[in-house]
Amino acid sequence: MLLEVMNVRKTYGKVVAVDDVSFNIGRGEIFGLLGENGAGKTTTIKMLSTLARPDSGRILLNGKDIQKYRRETRRRIAVVSQDMNLGYELSVFEVLYIYALLRGIRNSRKLIDDTIEKLGMTEKRNAKVGTLSGGQKRRVMAARAMISGAELIFMDEPTIGLDPAVRREMWEMIRQMQSDGRSILLTTHYTDEAEYLCGRVAIMERGRIVSMDTPQSLIDCAGAFAVDINSRTLLFRDSGEADEYIAKESLTGHRVRQTKLDDVLVSSIGRAV
Amino acid sequence: MGSYAVLYREMLLFKYKLMRLGYVFYSVSTPILYLLAFGLGFGSRVQIPDYGAFLIQGIVCMSSMTNSFNMVSVSVGMGRLHSGEFQTVLTSPVSASSVMGGLVLSGIIRGLFASSMILLAGLFVFHVFPFTTMGLFALVLNTAFFSAAGVIIGVIIDDMENHAVLTNFIIMPMAFFSGTFYPVDFLPHWLQKVVWIMPLSHANKLIRVGELNSATASSFVLLSGLTLVCIAAGTVMLDRYTE
Repeated sequence: MLLEVMNVRKTYGKVVAVDDVSFNIGRGEIFGLLGENGAGKTTTIKMLSTLARPDSGRILLNGKDIQKYRRETRRRIAVVSQDMNLGYELSVFEVLYIYALLRGIRNSRKLIDDTIEKLGMTEKRNAKVGTLSGGQKRRVMAARAMISGAELIFMDEPTIGLDPAVRREMWEMIRQMQSDGRSILLTTHYTDEAEYLCGRVAIMERGRIVSMDTPQSLIDCAGAFAVDINSRTLLFRDSGEADEYIAKESLTGHRVRQTKLDDVLVSSIGRAV
Repeated sequence: MGSYAVLYREMLLFKYKLMRLGYVFYSVSTPILYLLAFGLGFGSRVQIPDYGAFLIQGIVCMSSMTNSFNMVSVSVGMGRLHSGEFQTVLTSPVSASSVMGGLVLSGIIRGLFASSMILLAGLFVFHVFPFTTMGLFALVLNTAFFSAAGVIIGVIIDDMENHAVLTNFIIMPMAFFSGTFYPVDFLPHWLQKVVWIMPLSHANKLIRVGELNSATASSFVLLSGLTLVCIAAGTVMLDRYTE
């Protein structure tokens, strides 16, 4: 295993941000942390990236405690933050060049120019970050992770606020990083994103992981058939069970469909669906 | 390479600020206003020989302090609390001492730049250039101390409003009572003792002597010591930084 997270807990005063969280990430895997705002996803990433210390529990990267081997850990990881932390007065090239210097990458100019070209942003090379669109800024943030040489990349809601077409471009970038051999921890509250990209998904609620598996297994486990009744959705294991319920309740105006990860998320976090 | 990365980033931002002329005006306008108001207003009425040179040296020290402290503390504070850029530095494999080194160097350069603007203004208004090698030493120590203090403040504040409070209650009184506009000897005896612990008063003492002598050696040792302590404390805080 590349990353092992064992019984990690983090509190801020009386607020429990992350509670007894355990999971692991294999090499080349895209692992998703799914949950609503305040579920504990960002705090988990802060702990994994050495920015926050867990109150208890252990986090191992390549078998080594990340708090004990912080500098080595930081060499092996890259963080794509939820915040647009780029420096708006700097140009795209300068942002990437400074990041390469921070990572200790020598003679990085060609690497940076190649990455900029790969992202289709050659004409924006010398443009100030502040003049870029939201999608272009997100691409520059992903570009930092691409040039970092990190084997594990933490992406905290990398497509938040992007339009559908740009989101799909970001998905392809993430897939590209995976095919380059990187492992990725992706936090999101877009279930279609998690379904498309992630090999496994953990659903977080109030700091705890409430379920964890492949997206399809989570759907099968919750019930593959969904019945929409007005604003409510009920999940059933098979169509027979769904038909039986509809007949018994004499339902009209309902809709039967395949369950989506979205339904599982809402069901898992304890809301009536 | 880590220090260079931090320094390079700060210098690029500084360059872009300088290119906006409003910044240059803003950063040196207040000190130049002091220079004109006190220098032309009091001038020969003050019982200090060559008051113009005295005032220029004091305002140079004060400007080096405010520019180093504000630039570094705002860069760290804003980068940490608002843009999140500072977290990018902290999660990179650069050591805390390298981050500290880069930030302190950037503060020194910004402080020296502001000082040179005041010296040029003094030359233009009073036709004197009261600056020595010892003065350069004093300025480097002064800017290093306040840059390191800026890192510490930037790391500990939880709101940028706190930065304004600290500036008003610590930096501004230090600027007025540490011998910037008149000798510390003019103050009541009890206040002189308070002023003695203010680093700016020692920088002011050092910038006004041509060479290190028995009267100023203690200031040199004290300012050097305080600078080293501040750099060490800031490095430890960066190393132990947690959210």
